[in-house]
Amino acid sequence: MITTRSLTKRYGGTIALDDVDLNVSPGSIYGLAGPNGAGKTTLLGILAGLRRETSGELHIDARAGEIAVLPDTPRFDPWLTGREVVALARSLVDPNGPSGRVDEVLVETGLADAGSRRVGGYSRGMLQRLGIAATLVGRPRLVLLDEPASALDPGGRREVLDLIARLRGTATVLFSSHILADVQEVCDTVGTLDKGRLLFEGPLRDLLVGSAVPRYVVHLRGNADTVAARLTQASWVSSAEARSDGVLFLEVTSLADAEERLAEALAAAKAVVVSYGPEEVSLERAFLELTGGRPKP
Amino acid sequence: MSLLRLEFLRLKRTSRWLILGGVFVGFGLMGPLAARYMEQLLDIAGGDLDGVTIEFPDPVPADGIIQYVNNAVQVGTLVAVVVAAGALAFDSIPEMGIFLRTRVPSVWRILLPRLVVTFAAVSVAFILGVGAAWYETTVLLGALDSGAMLLGTLLGVLFLAFVVAVVAAVAQWARTMLATVMVSLIVLVTLPIVGIADIVGRWLPTRLGAALADLVDEGAAGDYLGPAAVALVAIPVLLGLAARGVRRRET
Repeated sequence: MITTRSLTKRYGGTIALDDVDLNVSPGSIYGLAGPNGAGKTTLLGILAGLRRETSGELHIDARAGEIAVLPDTPRFDPWLTGREVVALARSLVDPNGPSGRVDEVLVETGLADAGSRRVGGYSRGMLQRLGIAATLVGRPRLVLLDEPASALDPGGRREVLDLIARLRGTATVLFSSHILADVQEVCDTVGTLDKGRLLFEGPLRDLLVGSAVPRYVVHLRGNADTVAARLTQASWVSSAEARSDGVLFLEVTSLADAEERLAEALAAAKAVVVSYGPEEVSLERAFLELTGGRPKP
Repeated sequence: MSLLRLEFLRLKRTSRWLILGGVFVGFGLMGPLAARYMEQLLDIAGGDLDGVTIEFPDPVPADGIIQYVNNAVQVGTLVAVVVAAGALAFDSIPEMGIFLRTRVPSVWRILLPRLVVTFAAVSVAFILGVGAAWYETTVLLGALDSGAMLLGTLLGVLFLAFVVAVVAAVAQWARTMLATVMVSLIVLVTLPIVGIADIVGRWLPTRLGAALADLVDEGAAGDYLGPAAVALVAIPVLLGLAARGVRRRET
């Protein structure tokens, strides 16, 4: 659906995007993850036709009217009603579409009751949902969402993420977020952007398994320090970090080594074990390892 | 909901139509009154001037229109610039600009309804003001030359079209609505200053603003051929600049 080759954007001497090769498959929900200032908004702006690339190639398999864009903090003329905003969006992108479509998306986004109220009185969460309603009303094939849930409270965030998840199968979605948990929850494909460079692109599973260092988490009763000191001496343990609450993080040479030898090593260290198992790797940890940041234990 | 209806709603719900109408029609009603009763008004306001006597010539019909034009061209143009900037500087809030820009195949679809509705609103307000001033002048001071009135009104409308085109061009290059208003006013104020040199002044479209007052006061229509021709050339050039500005801007 979207292919870029060596896409570069410079603002004067500052490189906002550096040789980005992006591949977004049709029908996927693609999460563009990265910290603030990574270049996500610039990349989405170029894909939306709002900014021009300095160099590189860009191909989008959708016509202008089939692409819908939602900025991070959507704003509308405050004297319009919610229904009028959605009706305006429909008249611009899908004037021959079914007339009931406006009400349909208002219901879908939970704004049916507020549709006749002026937008000036909407909360931030309602504005975000209205933005999504205006985005979906034209039945786009490609949806570009810039930080759609970042500024919302937990309830609003939940609603927006559910709305995005419901788009699966009906449109290709590319959404950016610096909240990695959101990307991990909704997306099937992920691209990690940092300082303008695309560090990883592929299925979320590959990132979590491929990039992360194999770690085990051991819950112990009592002090974990002595056990940590003992285990550090093992050749298959790269490092051991004990927390005051009895949790021990072990970085191991491979998960297979740990499966084979950990139980025996814990017994030898006379550890009172509550539970243990491989650490479930989060996108945040994988991202920090990719970017050279230090993950929190 | 079309973009044209959006602009009508902007005028109606933000009360801009009321402000435009109030200013032009207000001056249209006040101008002839002031011309007719200036002496009495000064008597009431000033009272005894220590033996100094000011004698006014008897007011003539042209005075009613001159009063209207003097006020309407200054304050009316200021209001017209603000109203036009509010509609035409659609990127001043980038998220609103993105909403529109990403939904239209051509920038003209955004610009055209805004230009048409703004120009129509400003022109209708000006014409209503002329109508009010014409009627009241006829009642209070006597009949006016219809030909001069109609031609002067037409030239006034052309001046307002030039004003809207200036704002449209500035709006697409300035970043905010305030900057659009300020730069537009600077352009519109600077032109008459440049026009002090007669060789330049006789061609400037800003002269059209006062054409109505001059024509009813025995001015020659031929004096306005040059400014009208320049305005007719400048308006499409300014709109072309506006379209170019919209296209090149990154949001």
